[in-house]
Amino acid sequence: MNLKELYQEIILEHGKNPRNLRKTEGFNKDAKGNNPLCGDNVHVYLKLNGQKIVEDASFEGSGCAISMASASIMTDLIKGKNEHEAKEIVEDFLGMIKENPELQSKYLSEDEKTKLMCLSGVKQYPMRVKCATLSWHTMVSAFDEKMEEVKTEN
Amino acid sequence: MKIDQIKKEFPIFDEKIQNNDLVYLDSANSSQKPKIVVDRINEFYTKQFSNVGRSVHYLAVAATNLYENTRTSVQKYINAKDKNEIVFTKGATEALNLVANTLGQSYLQEGDEVLITELEHHSNYVPWHFLRKSKNIKINFAEINKECEITLEEIEKKITQKTKLISITHLSNVTGAILPVKEITQLAHSKGIIVVVDGCQGAPHLKLDMQELDCDFYAISCHKMYGPTGLGVLYGKKKWLEELPPYQGGGGMINEVKKDRISYGELPNKYEAGTMATAQVIAFDQSIKFLESIGIENVMKHESDLVEYGQELLQKNNSVKLIGNPKNKGGVLSFTIEGVHPHDIATILDEDGVAIRAGHHCCQILHDKLNIPASARASVGIYNTKEDLDQLNQSINNCKKIFNL
Repeated sequence: MNLKELYQEIILEHGKNPRNLRKTEGFNKDAKGNNPLCGDNVHVYLKLNGQKIVEDASFEGSGCAISMASASIMTDLIKGKNEHEAKEIVEDFLGMIKENPELQSKYLSEDEKTKLMCLSGVKQYPMRVKCATLSWHTMVSAFDEKMEEVKTEN
Repeated sequence: MKIDQIKKEFPIFDEKIQNNDLVYLDSANSSQKPKIVVDRINEFYTKQFSNVGRSVHYLAVAATNLYENTRTSVQKYINAKDKNEIVFTKGATEALNLVANTLGQSYLQEGDEVLITELEHHSNYVPWHFLRKSKNIKINFAEINKECEITLEEIEKKITQKTKLISITHLSNVTGAILPVKEITQLAHSKGIIVVVDGCQGAPHLKLDMQELDCDFYAISCHKMYGPTGLGVLYGKKKWLEELPPYQGGGGMINEVKKDRISYGELPNKYEAGTMATAQVIAFDQSIKFLESIGIENVMKHESDLVEYGQELLQKNNSVKLIGNPKNKGGVLSFTIEGVHPHDIATILDEDGVAIRAGHHCCQILHDKLNIPASARASVGIYNTKEDLDQLNQSINNCKKIFNL
């Protein structure tokens, strides 16, 4: 994978015009994350309904194209999933971004897998993996209602 | 001066880095090493190794002499009065921590004020913050002007009756601003204020004359000075180093140890507890020889030509915004590109073999002031050429293309 392929259209599109870059009204879970090395920061908001399904997900923050695209895609595809499903998807994503060649989660549609796979090129750039994973760690922290800010060094 | 010739002395430039010729623009972070320095480490470990200052056997004596030779070389290079004013540390960070810690133990009192600047690297802020926590001292910040400089007037404005110490960088690692250290020291001393200088960026690129600067302490990072990692130098005026208490306790720094009393060694041993970075110290002598062989005036001229050239190039490049425009500027070009995060810039430039740094460069206070989370930074060393800066500019254009700018 070369650089052009990493910064392919979908990353640039999501990086420049992130989806769900806002604060969910009436959110009931949230967490902050920051990447002190880069100065990237993200605040993830989740609104779970009575059945504990994510009704809305959003984020605020600033960062590089990879971290913005990752948060954008994540908040899009997590909607409609419950906590268990969401966490499994996080594990699947983290596995893929570090080593696994493919996504395996049964909770992801083919279309969602394709979108997420556009971030797979990041594994060639170990220093940038934390850019891609920041919002995902932060979402887990929101589910777990951890008060501490997430700090990714990897 | 033939830069091509000088560049040949650095083995790393013979390497292909991911199939590219290396365009190394990260010397403010750490410089590359000339062969004589690398070889000296190898030679010491293979043929001459022994610990220093302890045993009486042949190798130990020889190693001790080599170790002390570097101290003398450093003394001469920075024009210190006495070789015992040179203390080896594990880095400039430790040097600054040593100063803050020992002044905190015996000199600074609750309510005293320390004046630093918004340009400071975290290693010239956090050690003072420790004293803010433990001793309730106050830290004031001299503010940058719109060119990202710190002026003598600004320092004067921020000095109060309670200011006991001023700790400033010699050369900003982000904006490249060179501070008027000599004038600041004159002013400070006229008011009985101590001056500490973070010379991490100053030492590799500027003429060092402790008698002229007259500062009380000066911290040097050897790995930015074409020397080995794990080594720093603290210059301190003898009267201070003699008066202040030790920093770390252990072997080498003591005189006599009894169950009920301990007396400490003389300078410089007093501040060199434990086994030191022996091979690095000995190899650092070669770094000084290397710099002396070129001549610091030539280094300064070459780097200021480069930075002027780079500045013009980037100023002409649409969407590149240079950070700061100090009149007196060292070899640092920090910039942002509207619409591209510095980490994306660095990754894309890396693809062309152009090594720069992106982030806050350990200067969060400055980046907060400038209201940016991070910046991209190209910094030059003696081995850089105008072609390197042309390549930087071309790779920036490539980056803009990828981002459809």
